[in-house]
Amino acid sequence: MTRTWSRLRRAVAARGFTPATWIPAASEGRAEEATIREARLIEELPISGRAVGASEPWPGPVAFLDGVQQYEVMAYAGASPLVVAEIAAAVMERRDRQLRVARATRRRVVLARPSVLADLGDSLTEHVAIELPEVGPPHPVRDFQLARRAIDAERGRLEVEVGSGFRRESDAWMIVDGSLSESPHWSNDPRMIGVIKSHATLPFAGDELEQYLRLRQGWRSPVFEPAGREVAPVFSWALRLWPWEGKDLLHGLIRIEAAATSAILEHADRLSRWLLAERSPVSTPDPRWDRLLYGIHAVELYLRASSLS
Amino acid sequence: MTALIGRVVATELKPSTPHQFHFWTARESPIGIGGIVRVEAPDRTVLGIVTDGFAYADLVTPIHDVIGADGDPALALSAPTDRTEIRLYTAAVLRQYPEEPLQPVPLGAVYLATDADVVSALRMDGFTVGERPTGVPIGVYHAGGVEAPVFLDADFLLGPEAAHLNITGVSGLATKTSAVEFLLGSIFQTFPAHKGSVAAVCFNVKGPDLCFLDQPGDLSDDDRRLHQRLGLRPEPFADMQLYAPYKADGVNLNSLRSNEALASNTVPLVWGLREVLDYAEVLLNRDDVDAKAGGFIDFLTERVVGKRFEDITLSREPLEVRSFADLEDFFRRIFEFMEVQAKGSEVWRNHHMATIRKVRNRLGNISLRAKGLVTDDGQPSDLPWGSFADRSVHVIDVAGLDPLAQDLVFARVVSKLREHLERRDLGVDHVVVFVDELNKYAPADGQDTYVRRMLLDLSERGRYLGLVLFSAQQFRSQVLRRVVGNAGTALFGRMDMDELATPGYGTLSPATRAKLAALPKGELMIRHPHFTQPLFVRFPRPAVLPGRLGVERFPPAPDLPFAAAVARHLRALDGAITTQRVAELIDGHREEDVRRSLHATRRARPDNILAYFASLLGRKVQREVPPARPLAGLRRTDDPYA
Repeated sequence: MTRTWSRLRRAVAARGFTPATWIPAASEGRAEEATIREARLIEELPISGRAVGASEPWPGPVAFLDGVQQYEVMAYAGASPLVVAEIAAAVMERRDRQLRVARATRRRVVLARPSVLADLGDSLTEHVAIELPEVGPPHPVRDFQLARRAIDAERGRLEVEVGSGFRRESDAWMIVDGSLSESPHWSNDPRMIGVIKSHATLPFAGDELEQYLRLRQGWRSPVFEPAGREVAPVFSWALRLWPWEGKDLLHGLIRIEAAATSAILEHADRLSRWLLAERSPVSTPDPRWDRLLYGIHAVELYLRASSLS
Repeated sequence: MTALIGRVVATELKPSTPHQFHFWTARESPIGIGGIVRVEAPDRTVLGIVTDGFAYADLVTPIHDVIGADGDPALALSAPTDRTEIRLYTAAVLRQYPEEPLQPVPLGAVYLATDADVVSALRMDGFTVGERPTGVPIGVYHAGGVEAPVFLDADFLLGPEAAHLNITGVSGLATKTSAVEFLLGSIFQTFPAHKGSVAAVCFNVKGPDLCFLDQPGDLSDDDRRLHQRLGLRPEPFADMQLYAPYKADGVNLNSLRSNEALASNTVPLVWGLREVLDYAEVLLNRDDVDAKAGGFIDFLTERVVGKRFEDITLSREPLEVRSFADLEDFFRRIFEFMEVQAKGSEVWRNHHMATIRKVRNRLGNISLRAKGLVTDDGQPSDLPWGSFADRSVHVIDVAGLDPLAQDLVFARVVSKLREHLERRDLGVDHVVVFVDELNKYAPADGQDTYVRRMLLDLSERGRYLGLVLFSAQQFRSQVLRRVVGNAGTALFGRMDMDELATPGYGTLSPATRAKLAALPKGELMIRHPHFTQPLFVRFPRPAVLPGRLGVERFPPAPDLPFAAAVARHLRALDGAITTQRVAELIDGHREEDVRRSLHATRRARPDNILAYFASLLGRKVQREVPPARPLAGLRRTDDPYA
């Protein structure tokens, strides 16, 4: 694979496409709409939760899984955008306090309407071509939004691929950046945990939501079952890593997803204590350091540092 | 090919240049400050030496570490993950292939240097191979399991291209003396035949430092292995003579090497009036030697000392001034003549009496302050001028001498070496002169002395003659800059931080300075014309007996009564001679006559030592026993305090 997009750029230029100069903010998080989807409480606890106890180091090796994406509009065929993206996912395993890359994959993707991709012909041999749906006439903004969703989905698939590959080789605990709903395999994996930093989708409303968002540091919410996960049901709970008082309601608040099993229910406190220990070291200078576990931060750093483009 | 240890990195803020580059390594890399590395890139290979190192984590500000540990340092230890760290090194370029065009160091893979890389990086391939190699082993470069011999170029160490060596470092930890002893041994074993012969003259200025160079020391297995790695035999100096003046009694040696077992190559150093007068300028400061005094000293040198001086006003017989005693008699005759017959005149042979008195006082002072070195009998015992042997070491022990006498010894020996080397009749082609405490003899500040001027001359012109200065001091910054600046090779042992803060060390990186400040014994930093950057090496302990152990193994002989001391000297020539026999022989003779006979016997080394010695003693002096005079009786008194 070439180290840059230059070959494709030349091919695009040769076919008379209009070069683009618009480079969107790279690697934005997955697009997510803000909403409230009321969850079903599994545990009989007040929403204000309870203290999980002092942090404990995670026993044995732990793996961290994350993915990144970078994309840009390379050119226009008429009004139809040609979007290129590099997506990557990796697992870093921690043994003896040291993180090492256990598995990593990266992929280059070209997204456009089928007719545009057809025009590119042989130039796409080193890339994965993804056809965008031809809904209506070409629209540069709408087509780009479609491309972005496709990139999100492709990144999710790559993460699942990498995670599954690691799982085939190791039964270590694996912490995923984001929801376990990406794959039914993940949601059934008893040694997998999803850590969600985003609170766009909230599980409660009204007073309950207020209580949920005012969890004290070192406390967790009762275990609940998020709504809309019929295909891959999970148990979930919130955990406050850092005191929020004087900062923001969401400061240090993470939501945890794990397999919907009685064992998880039984061990929610212990898992929370292990996660509390992951507060250190803090993952500065990332602005999300209050919710971003250092292991996930390290995976992101690795993927960006080793980016092909 | 050694293992890959890093990658070159270059950023806008830290770019690679033709003389410097940066590379990162894994945390457990074997590289360190002073390590030599090879950069491999397409069409270019670069050899460099690590001059600085940095480590940092992805922490933006220390406060984040405090937050992560809840303000408790103990909790920081329990963090489940170690932060990502970088080990970033800065290296100075030693050599590039191709050498032209000279370009910035490319982004390439970094490897530990191999033996061959070390040879190439230090440009030793130019003088250690071929038909006329001139490499002299100085130690081993060691890093990451690589241990490669390092050679100095004899053409740049002993001339003619460059010459002289200076070593600096704190007392006791810098191994200055050991380094010089080792290097002298190395030179003696490897100095190439096509460059001629070499000898060394070492001034022992403190304690017993250099007194036992001919005795084997105790070496560890590692020392022996290092000798072998450098292709050297761990042996003491086979041909060594120690020269020491006498103590004031004229028969006991003023040296810590006075054990009788070592007497065979321990030689008295005794000079007469002639030897001293030639270097009067050393002993008299500038205020003393004005034009008038200088003129009178020249008169003494050219017309009187060692000549038959005829002056009817002083003596009916021609005067022969050969010793300080003769000189004193000469002065006495002048003063008597001036007082009795010159009728108040103040001028004798155009020399004012005040000048004559001044010169007499100064020269008389010399014989007092340098008693033991300067003899009254006029018969010197000196270094073997004209017959220096190849690979011989001549140690001159001046540790017990008055500083004035030390200056005299130093000036005369170096001047004589230069005279003989100029005439090519010393016996060897090159002489290494080792002077410790150089800051004392060639200080950066203070009075301009004869010795300082002589050292400067030696450092600036000695290499053309084959006269090479190896010098040492604690503080290089306190030595006359031109003297140390002329040293082609510089060695640095453990250094004092204050010294390292002086401007002379500004070209060294902070890490190199820090390493120098904590350098272990047996390690040195080297600057040599072929090495474009300073290099750290390790050298074995020299295979000679250290002075401190030498004194324990060969305790100095106690000062003996006159007869026993004379017998000891004669026993060194003939082991059968007894103290009792010598006592019988010298009984009734004046001590100065005995000393003269002893020195003459030592010089002549006849077949029959005792007979020769006895023949020179001359007539006995009759004891004068004053008649006993009756003492008047003391008057008794009752006063107890009377």
